[in-house]
Amino acid sequence: MNINTFHAIYASTVFVIAYALITTERFNKTLVALAGAVAVFFLPVINSNEVFYSRDTGIDWDVIFLLLGMMIIVSVVRQTGVFEYIAIWSAKKAEGSPLRIMIMLVVVTTVGSAFLDNVTTVLLIAPVTVLVADRLAISPAPFLIAESFASDIGGAATLVGDPTSIIIGTGANLSFISFLANMGPAVLLVLVALIAMLPPLFPGFFTVDPDRVADVMSLDEREAIRNRKLLIQCGIVLLAVFIGFVLHHVIHMEPSLVAMAGAGILIVVSGLDRDFYLSSVEWETLLFFAGLFVMVGALVRTGVINNLAHAASHATGHNLWLTTVLILGVSFLFSGFVNNVPYAATMTPIVAEFVSSLHGPANHDVLWWALLLGTILGGNLTPIGSSANIVIVGLAERAGAHVSFWDFTKRGAVVVAVSFAISLGYLWVRYFAFA
Amino acid sequence: MRAEDLEEKFPIVPIDSDAVDAARMIAEHSLPGLLVTDTAGQPYAILPAFAMLRFILPRYVQDDLTLAGVVGEPTRGQATKNLAGKTVGDLLPDYLGDIPSVDARAIITRVAAEMAQLRSSLIAVTKDGKLHGVITASHLLAAALKS
Repeated sequence: MNINTFHAIYASTVFVIAYALITTERFNKTLVALAGAVAVFFLPVINSNEVFYSRDTGIDWDVIFLLLGMMIIVSVVRQTGVFEYIAIWSAKKAEGSPLRIMIMLVVVTTVGSAFLDNVTTVLLIAPVTVLVADRLAISPAPFLIAESFASDIGGAATLVGDPTSIIIGTGANLSFISFLANMGPAVLLVLVALIAMLPPLFPGFFTVDPDRVADVMSLDEREAIRNRKLLIQCGIVLLAVFIGFVLHHVIHMEPSLVAMAGAGILIVVSGLDRDFYLSSVEWETLLFFAGLFVMVGALVRTGVINNLAHAASHATGHNLWLTTVLILGVSFLFSGFVNNVPYAATMTPIVAEFVSSLHGPANHDVLWWALLLGTILGGNLTPIGSSANIVIVGLAERAGAHVSFWDFTKRGAVVVAVSFAISLGYLWVRYFAFA
Repeated sequence: MRAEDLEEKFPIVPIDSDAVDAARMIAEHSLPGLLVTDTAGQPYAILPAFAMLRFILPRYVQDDLTLAGVVGEPTRGQATKNLAGKTVGDLLPDYLGDIPSVDARAIITRVAAEMAQLRSSLIAVTKDGKLHGVITASHLLAAALKS
């Protein structure tokens, strides 16, 4: 065995063990990722230059700082109560009809998830949902399950909607506008399908005692706004950040810098305590990402990724459509059961290889859309398919509404099957049918 | 003056005692909190009174304090309903930190320093490794002002 092969086997073994330990959810995933990173430091081909300064094999600082900036922005915006205001206002607009309430909350969750982290979105929407369900004297579980699906769907719409979107979008150097223009229509189609599926997914749930409707209508959403001045400040900064995201290629400012600038401005204008906004950053998550990037970087550096990409493209005969279907299908399948962040981090350099090597009349960026749709939408299959799902099931339990693995999965399977069909059809029609 | 000279009669509850009874004890005697012991009778934690205030709120308000203004006045019996079936152990915060305690022979300055550093309104007094009594911040302050 030559030394390069040994390095490749070593890096692969470290990665597979780390991935397996992360998937079991029995170990602290950050410690596992950092331990894996330290293990690959022993490879002679990995040095500090590779780890800290290489875009291809090192820590993707754009991802880290985009996440950091968005975490701070979200923590400040949360203080205003605007999300709760919107959620309660939407529920009241539905005039007490459980189906209309569910549709409104699903839409609010999807839009929220497009711009906020999925877990944050469900943490914000769940208490309001339980409140409304409590007022209507019905179980909150169906609402929460539907919102879980919606949060994953919404996270696929924009570059900043989900950590997976951030990893893939940044790795592929996709602009915010390009991301939205290509993923937005697919997300919209899947959302419409989800809304249409809600009655058959939750049969018999949508009847309520008419006397309870007044209890919902008596909620005053204006009481949710805690700080009007901060709300206005946040609104202005968020608008500027959104414009920055849209125009980042024009103003030559990466989304990570836009997010950090927005976070910095909000920290200054809000006057919030330093301990507050520093404690609201999920430092463990950022370290987890760093460790993950180092391990994946070692796979790139030792040629493992290159070999995998060649083997896969050989299997598909270097055909772009077949490769698209393979990426979409495998991603849907995997992400229903495993943590999709390490999956996305590993697949990004593989798909990058495909993009540069395959032939076909269509734009090769279709491979990125396939990876995004499969990885994010596939997470709806099981309660462990995404972090938002895990959080929702926990919150339902706290609210006294137990959601079993089967309760969730039997509905998740339907949603994922429909999402897969829509994604496949969308990719074919948009990128291949007329190419 | 030593810590054992400042001890006062104070309710001490085991970790597995009923949460509703504990809440009533705090309310009826206007206590700043309770000293909680483990099943072996050793000091385990301080349960401050304010930590129990969250339990007069519905669960969804505990998860999102923004909704406090939205829901209006608490419903009758809400606190008892939220505490029913729970033990004192269930009410303790996730991160307990150091249990404030001093030896019975510690001087008053040491007692005050421990309570100030740990920001606790109660402190356990131990002798030969066993729980001996409790000092409250108000009692300590009264003694300090007298001296």
